Amino acid sequence: MKVEDVVCPFCGCLCDDLVVEVENNRVTSVENGCTLANEKLMEDHRLKNPIRRERGSWKDVSYDAAIQETAEILLDADRPLLYGWSGTHGEAQSVGVHLAELLGAVIDNTSTVCHGPSILAIQEVGHPGCTLGQVKNRADVIVYWGANPIDAHPRHMSRYTTYADGFFVKDAFKERKVIVIDVRKTESSAVANEFVKVDQGGDYAVLSALRAIVRGKGDLIPVKVAGVTREQLFRVADICKNAKFGAIFFGLGLTMSPGKNKNIRNAIELTEELNRHTKFTISPMRGHWNVYGSNEVFTWISGYPYAVDFARGIAFYNPGETTSVDILRRGECDACLVVASDPGAHFPRACAEHLARIPTVQIDPHVNATTHLATLQIPVAVTGIDAEGTAYRMDGVPIRTRKLYEGTYPSDLEILGKIYARVKEAKGS
Amino acid sequence: MTGLLVKNAYVIDPLSGVNGEIMDIAIRDGKIVEEVGSGAVVIDAGGCLTLPGGIDSHSHVCGTKVNFGRYMSPEDMRAGRTARKGVMHVTSGYSVPTTFGNSYRYSSMGYTTVLEGAMAPLEARHTHEEFTATPHQDMLANTLFDGNWSIMEAVRDKDVKRAAAVVAWTLAAVKGFAIKLTNPGGTEAWGWGEDVHSIRDEVPHFGVTPAEIIETMIQANELLNLPHSVHIHCNNLGVPGNYQTTLDTIGLAPDLNRERQSLYLTHVQFHSYGGSTWKDICSKSEEVARAVNARPQVAIDMGQIMFGRTTTMTADGPMEFKLYMLHHNKWSNHDVELETGSGIIPVYYSRKSLVNCVMWAIGLELALLTKNPWQCMLATDNPNGAPFVKYPEIIALLMSRKLREYEMKAIDPRTEHFVPLFAIDRELDWYEIAVMTRAAQAKALGITRIGKGHLAPGAEADIAIYPLKPDELDPAVDYQQVMAGFAKTSYTIKRGRVVARDGEVIVEGANSTIWTRAEVPPEFDLNKDPEFVKKFEQYYTVRMRNYPVQDIYLPRGVSIRTEASL
Amino acid sequence: MRFVLNTGRTIRQGSYVERKNSPVYREEAASLHMDRVDMLDLEIEEGSHVRVKSDQGAVVMVARPADGLVRGEVFVCLGPYANFLVNPETHGTGMPDFKTTVVTIEPTTDPVPTVRELMEQCGGVGYEG
Ligand code: SF4
Ligand SMILES: [Zn+2]
Repeated sequence: MKVEDVVCPFCGCLCDDLVVEVENNRVTSVENGCTLANEKLMEDHRLKNPIRRERGSWKDVSYDAAIQETAEILLDADRPLLYGWSGTHGEAQSVGVHLAELLGAVIDNTSTVCHGPSILAIQEVGHPGCTLGQVKNRADVIVYWGANPIDAHPRHMSRYTTYADGFFVKDAFKERKVIVIDVRKTESSAVANEFVKVDQGGDYAVLSALRAIVRGKGDLIPVKVAGVTREQLFRVADICKNAKFGAIFFGLGLTMSPGKNKNIRNAIELTEELNRHTKFTISPMRGHWNVYGSNEVFTWISGYPYAVDFARGIAFYNPGETTSVDILRRGECDACLVVASDPGAHFPRACAEHLARIPTVQIDPHVNATTHLATLQIPVAVTGIDAEGTAYRMDGVPIRTRKLYEGTYPSDLEILGKIYARVKEAKGS
Repeated sequence: MTGLLVKNAYVIDPLSGVNGEIMDIAIRDGKIVEEVGSGAVVIDAGGCLTLPGGIDSHSHVCGTKVNFGRYMSPEDMRAGRTARKGVMHVTSGYSVPTTFGNSYRYSSMGYTTVLEGAMAPLEARHTHEEFTATPHQDMLANTLFDGNWSIMEAVRDKDVKRAAAVVAWTLAAVKGFAIKLTNPGGTEAWGWGEDVHSIRDEVPHFGVTPAEIIETMIQANELLNLPHSVHIHCNNLGVPGNYQTTLDTIGLAPDLNRERQSLYLTHVQFHSYGGSTWKDICSKSEEVARAVNARPQVAIDMGQIMFGRTTTMTADGPMEFKLYMLHHNKWSNHDVELETGSGIIPVYYSRKSLVNCVMWAIGLELALLTKNPWQCMLATDNPNGAPFVKYPEIIALLMSRKLREYEMKAIDPRTEHFVPLFAIDRELDWYEIAVMTRAAQAKALGITRIGKGHLAPGAEADIAIYPLKPDELDPAVDYQQVMAGFAKTSYTIKRGRVVARDGEVIVEGANSTIWTRAEVPPEFDLNKDPEFVKKFEQYYTVRMRNYPVQDIYLPRGVSIRTEASL
Repeated sequence: MRFVLNTGRTIRQGSYVERKNSPVYREEAASLHMDRVDMLDLEIEEGSHVRVKSDQGAVVMVARPADGLVRGEVFVCLGPYANFLVNPETHGTGMPDFKTTVVTIEPTTDPVPTVRELMEQCGGVGYEG
C-alpha cells in the first residue's frame, strides 16, 4: 500500500511530503526522505515487550505489570523527574505534564540539552522569527551559524533555503547567498558562498563585531576578531544589510559553546539591529521532530517551555536548578520516567550514573543506552509509523503525523494515560 | 435529566426584551425550557443579577502567538500562579495566563463564550489544541485573511466570487469562524519590513490597496452568508492621527445585512488618535463615535486600556516593531507564509504617561459617546489593552462618573486638554452593561441563532448569576460592589451545568468549538482548482492534504452551515 | 597532549541513533576526528585506538583524520562516548559544556567498549536485545 504526504518523525524540518510503501506492517520503501528518514521509517528492531531488571538480569513482563509498577515507582518517589518528550506526539506530552502536576514532579524535555539556552535568550529579548515558507519565498540571504544542516537537518537546504525556489526567488541557487559561520569546516560550509571560520568559543565576539558594524561603529573593529578578519566581517555585514530578506538559522554551535544563552541573545540583537535596515529573521534549528511541540504543550499547560517543577504545587521554573542535568548531577531525583529520548547517551556520564542508581522507567520503542540503566522499559508504537498525533515543526507550524499501519504496540498516549489513571486513583483525586 | 431551576432571578436579557424582571429560569438537557418538573434542582438566585453567559467578541487566548507570549515571559507566568485544587489544574500567568488560567478566570466572571481574535490558518491546529484545553468556554476563531495571497489575487482580478471561494475553503479547512483582517495589506508588506499607511496605499507586488481588500471581503462575506461580518483591525494601529484611517474604513462599509452590522471594527481605542506625533496625540473619540452613530452598519469594540503591566500581541507585525522601537523591552515577531504576520511585546501602561492617559480616556469615551450600546462592545483586546480580569473595573468606570472622577485625579493632569472625557456625564445602566458584555456580542457574531447570548426557551443554558442586587445598589456610588460583583459570579452555568461557584471552578469543562461551513457550488470548490493547488505545491511548505485541521481536533465541534449565494 | 573536544551531529550517528547496540553506531560514536598533523605528533594513524581522558574519566576511541578541524581540536559525534568525558556542570544554564571539554589523548591498545559496557560502567545492567 502506498501512503502519500507522510510526515517524517525525525528532525525538526518535519518534512510532510514523503511517499512510503507499506507491506505487512512494515515500511518497505521511502521516497523523498533523506537518509535519516529512510533509516527511521524502515526500522525493524523494536523491543518486543516490556522488560524488567531483576537482580542483575532482565525478565519479560506484561504491559499491565509494567504500568502498575511504573505508577508505584512514581507514587513512592519524593522527587520524581519526568524527562524526554520530544520524540512523541503532543497528546502524550500533554498527559505527561498533567502527570507531573499530579505527582508534584519535575518535568523537562530535551530542549534542556539543545535549545534551552535559546529559550533563555528569547525570554530576555524576544524572538523575531517567521515560518519557513517566508524564507523559501523571499529570502535572498541565508546565514547558518553553528549549524550543520547537511548532517543534522538534511533537507533543510533543499526544502526551505539554499535550493528552494520560491515566489519572489525563482532561481534560489543563483539568487540566494548562503553564509555559513562555524568553528569547523563541515559539509554545509562546503556549499556556502561565504564561510566564516570562527575560533572555538569566539562566536560572541564575532556577533558583537557584526552588531557594531551594522550600527555604524565599524571603526572599533580590530584587524581580527576570534580568527575572523576585519575585511570578512565587513563583507558579511554588508551582505546582510543589503539583503531584501535575510534569515539566520542557528544551531547547537551557539547554544552549547561558551556564552550559551548570551550568544543567542547577541544573535537575536544582531537580527533586531538588522531590522532597522531591512527585513531579517532568526530561527533555532530545532533538533527532534517534536521538541518544539514539547515546548508548546508545556507552555500552554504550565506557562513554561521546559524545566518545570511542580513540587510546590504551583509551576516553578528556574533553569540551572530545575533542569534535568542539574537535578541528576546533584543526585536529587529519586525516580525517573524517561519518555521518547535517551539521556543515557546524551547526558554527561555523571547523570547516567545517577539514573542507574534510582528506579528509572523508560517508555521507548527501541533499546538504547538508557535501557541498560533502567529498571523497566515499556516499548510503544513509533509516532509517525504506527501511532499518530500532533507535532510542531521547528518554526511552530503544527502538523499531524500519520499512522501508516495498525500495529500491535500501544501508543505513548495509551501507556501514559493508564499510568496517569492509576496515579490519580491512588491519589484519590 | 431532572433539570435545573433558577428561582428569584433578577433577569436582564436584552435579546428577549427582558429588563430587570424577577423570574424563574428552567433548564433541561443544557437548554432553557418553559418549565421543569418538581424534581429539578433549585438554585435560589435571591434577587441577584442574572444574565446570559458573558461573551467576549475579541480576545487573544489561544494559539501560536498567545503561547509565544507565555513562552517568552516567565516574569508574567510568575505574576499569577495557582496550585492544583479540586478539579482545577495548576495555572500560571497574569496577562497571558495558561489555557486553564484563562478558562477558570473567565468562568468565574460568568463568561461562557470567547472568540479568539486572530488565528493564522496555517497554524490553526495549534489554536484548536488550546481551545480544547480552555474547557469552560465555547470557542470561536477569527481567521486571518489580511495578507492572504489568493485573496489579494482575487481582489486584483476584481473577482469577489473567487475571494468568497477562498474564504469558504479556508474556513472549512481550518475550522474557522469568521473573516479577520488585521492591518489588511500591511502584514504582507511587513514580509519586506514595510507597512501600508492608509487604505489607499498599494501593497508591494500585489497591486491592491487595503480599501480594495476590505470592500471585496465585505462583499464576499455576505455572498457566503456568514454569521459574523468582516472583523477588522484597521490599518495604522497606534499611530497618532490614525482616526482618519478609521473614518475612511468606516466609510467603506455598505449596509448589506438586516440582522447585524456589515463591518466590525475591533479595539477602536487604538485607532482613534488625533495629532501627528506622540507629543500632540489627542482623542478623536468624538469624530469616531459620530461616524458610528451615523452608521448602523458598523459595530465596534472598545479596546480599553487599563493602567498596569500587560502584553501586546497581534497579527499586526509592523505595528509591534514600531512599538518595540518606543519601548525597547523585548520583541517577538512571527510572519506566516502566504497569510499574515504577528508580533508580541510586553508593555506597561502608566498613569504618569500622558499618551497612556489619553489612550485610557479614549476607550471610555467611545463607550460613552456611542449612543447605541449594541454598537459598542466592552473589550480590552485582551491582553493588549489589559487582561480581561479588568472588565469589572471597566464596567464600574462606565457606570460611575464618581469613579471616573476619582481616577481622573490620579492621572497626568494634562490629559484634560487632550480628551473630552472630563466633560462626559453619562453613566451606563445595568441593561446597557448587559448589552455590551453579551447580547450585542451574540448579535454581532451572529450566534443568537445557535442559542447564544439570550435566555429564551431553546437557548443554550449559559447563565451568569452575580452577587449584585440591582434594586439595592446605586452603581454610580457603590462602584466597589459593582467591581467585586462582576469579578466573581455566585454561579456560572454552562450548558445547564453549574461550572463555577463563588469564583471557583467545580467541574471539568466540556466546551464546544463553533466554526462556519459555507456550502459553495461545485465550480467554486477550490480543492481541485489548479491555481489554488499550485500555491500549495510551489509556495507553502505544508502539503495541501496536511493543511486542513482534522475533525479529531474538535471533539465537540459545532458547525454553522450556510448556503452561499454564488 | 591537550585538546579541546567538540561534539555535534553526523548523518551516520543520526541514522543509527535508534540502534545504539549496533556495531555501526559504536564505530561512529567512538570515532575521534582530529587533525592529521596532530595524529603524526601522537604517532597514530587512522584506526588507531586512543585513550581520551578528561576530568570526568577516560574512554577508548578510534582516531580518524579530518580536514575541517584545526590543530588542537578534536570532534566526536554526540553520544555516550563523548559524554563519558563531559562535565555535568551547567553554570546555572542547564546546559553542560558539550563543545569545549579539555581532554588529553594517548595511544593505547585497549579495546573500544560497547555502549552496553559503557552503561555498565555507569552502574547499569546490560540488556542484550
Ligand atoms: S530533513 Fe528531517 S524531517 Fe526531513 S526527511 Fe530528513 S530527517 Fe525527516
Ligand atoms: Zn486583537
